[in-house]
Amino acid sequence: MAGQATAFSPVSQSHLDWLGTDPIPAEPYYDPAFYELERQAVFLKSWIEVGHVCELPDSGSFIRREIEFAKASILIVRGKDGTIRAFHNVCTHRGTQLVEAEAGRQSTFSCPYHMWTFGTDGGLISAPDFGQFHVAKEDCSLPKVAVEVCAGLIFINFADRPPPLREWLGDLADRLDTLLVARATAFHEYVYEIDANWKLTYDNFQENYHLRFIHPRSGGAGTGPENPFGYPVRYGFHGQHRTQTIWSNASAPPPPPAAMLAYAAAGRAAAVNGLGVNDAKDYIALFPNFFLFGSPVQHFSHVIMPIDATRSRGVIRIYWIGEDTSASESFAREFLMATARDIHAEDRAVIEAGQKGLSSGALKNIHFQTQEVLCRHLYQQVAAAVERHQAENAR
Amino acid sequence: MTANLPAGFEALEPFVANWAGRTAADRAALRGAYPPAERAAFHAACAPLIERGLRQLDAKPLRDLDEGERRLLDLFLTYAHVSLAIDVQASDEDRHRPLREAMRVTRAPVDF
Ligand code: FES
Ligand SMILES: [Fe+2]
Repeated sequence: MAGQATAFSPVSQSHLDWLGTDPIPAEPYYDPAFYELERQAVFLKSWIEVGHVCELPDSGSFIRREIEFAKASILIVRGKDGTIRAFHNVCTHRGTQLVEAEAGRQSTFSCPYHMWTFGTDGGLISAPDFGQFHVAKEDCSLPKVAVEVCAGLIFINFADRPPPLREWLGDLADRLDTLLVARATAFHEYVYEIDANWKLTYDNFQENYHLRFIHPRSGGAGTGPENPFGYPVRYGFHGQHRTQTIWSNASAPPPPPAAMLAYAAAGRAAAVNGLGVNDAKDYIALFPNFFLFGSPVQHFSHVIMPIDATRSRGVIRIYWIGEDTSASESFAREFLMATARDIHAEDRAVIEAGQKGLSSGALKNIHFQTQEVLCRHLYQQVAAAVERHQAENAR
Repeated sequence: MTANLPAGFEALEPFVANWAGRTAADRAALRGAYPPAERAAFHAACAPLIERGLRQLDAKPLRDLDEGERRLLDLFLTYAHVSLAIDVQASDEDRHRPLREAMRVTRAPVDF
């Protein structure tokens, strides 16, 4: 009806029946044996997001990433030819860690122990008194790890023959290409450690049921009288990946003046950069552990790296196009980073409380309601990957 | 002695020593570094000036700001954090602070 706001109605269970309604076993959220299966079946076989091309602007630019689930230190380098390659940060002489710096720019990498020196393509260039060895230089290149880029995001994969990244991303690959992150040149980042299983942590960020309880102040327009729990407008399922389109309360009271200033400046920047609002309210969840929020004014990624069964690390980045050009733009960026950080801070504490309860072993099952269906989908995808892995190994 | 801030922003001079954080991580920490009354005074002094202040600073490319202008911007950037304390968290701010400390700001596009 003209002039009348459409009443919100949550996605109905009938659209989600195909995912079932059974309780979910609690053990996979704390059991080290299950984590070991996940490590092998999921993390060592999936494309894992580890950075952005804006961190590797020039030939010789590198970043080092510690990947606990693989017990590996990985060096990602832009070569002289412009190609991005990933290597184990391990000297092929006797295994010493090659690079200590977190990031930098070098044309060669020399091992501190006996000075073997490698090029940006991972090849061994020189080694003192190499004539004493019984191996060819060609056989001493740094061990490679598969690396591919989509939408500026750098993914690595520890599998021997992983599928191409775009195939893995399916129909989401083209969509990612249209988002801000594909053109980003700068970012804010904040990092947290958490005493919680990676799935328990991740799930918090794919259900809105908690918003009104955990974010009573910072939740803003995320909830409202017609949608008191702030349930999403839509869910999308894309193979192992999933999306949600968030709802916002159009008649929420205006945010404080600082927020108005920030949104205005960020909106101007988004318009200058020609960013549309197509995916502005979409969360894209890439299996297993990566989120991207489509908003062109607060475009953030969130990756949750498992450390062990009940410890993880979260890395949140808010991406921007171009350096700060004006005072207003700096203000907007800082404000939008700080608001996201406030909200994530509130989540972290309650997730740890959930882990304490689960780790006690008191529960056999946990329960997901209709509007926690994305959590259910993640569990099912993980369980299926573990089953496939076990079946392969049984053969 | 030269003034610390551009003309017209004298009201903020008393806050320069404590509130002009140089990096995003510093500014995030400043939000909880001083007694609530001091934070409220800083907020009250900044609020009426920030719109005009940003407009004035916007007249120049960021990299051309002189020292006083840069300091004014640093105050405004700290205000972004302080506004969240006062305008959003309000009476929950004390409870919120320890939650936030676990979220370490590790990078910002321009940390002068
Ligand atoms: S271990 Fe690297 S040069 Fe010997
Ligand atoms: Fe939350």
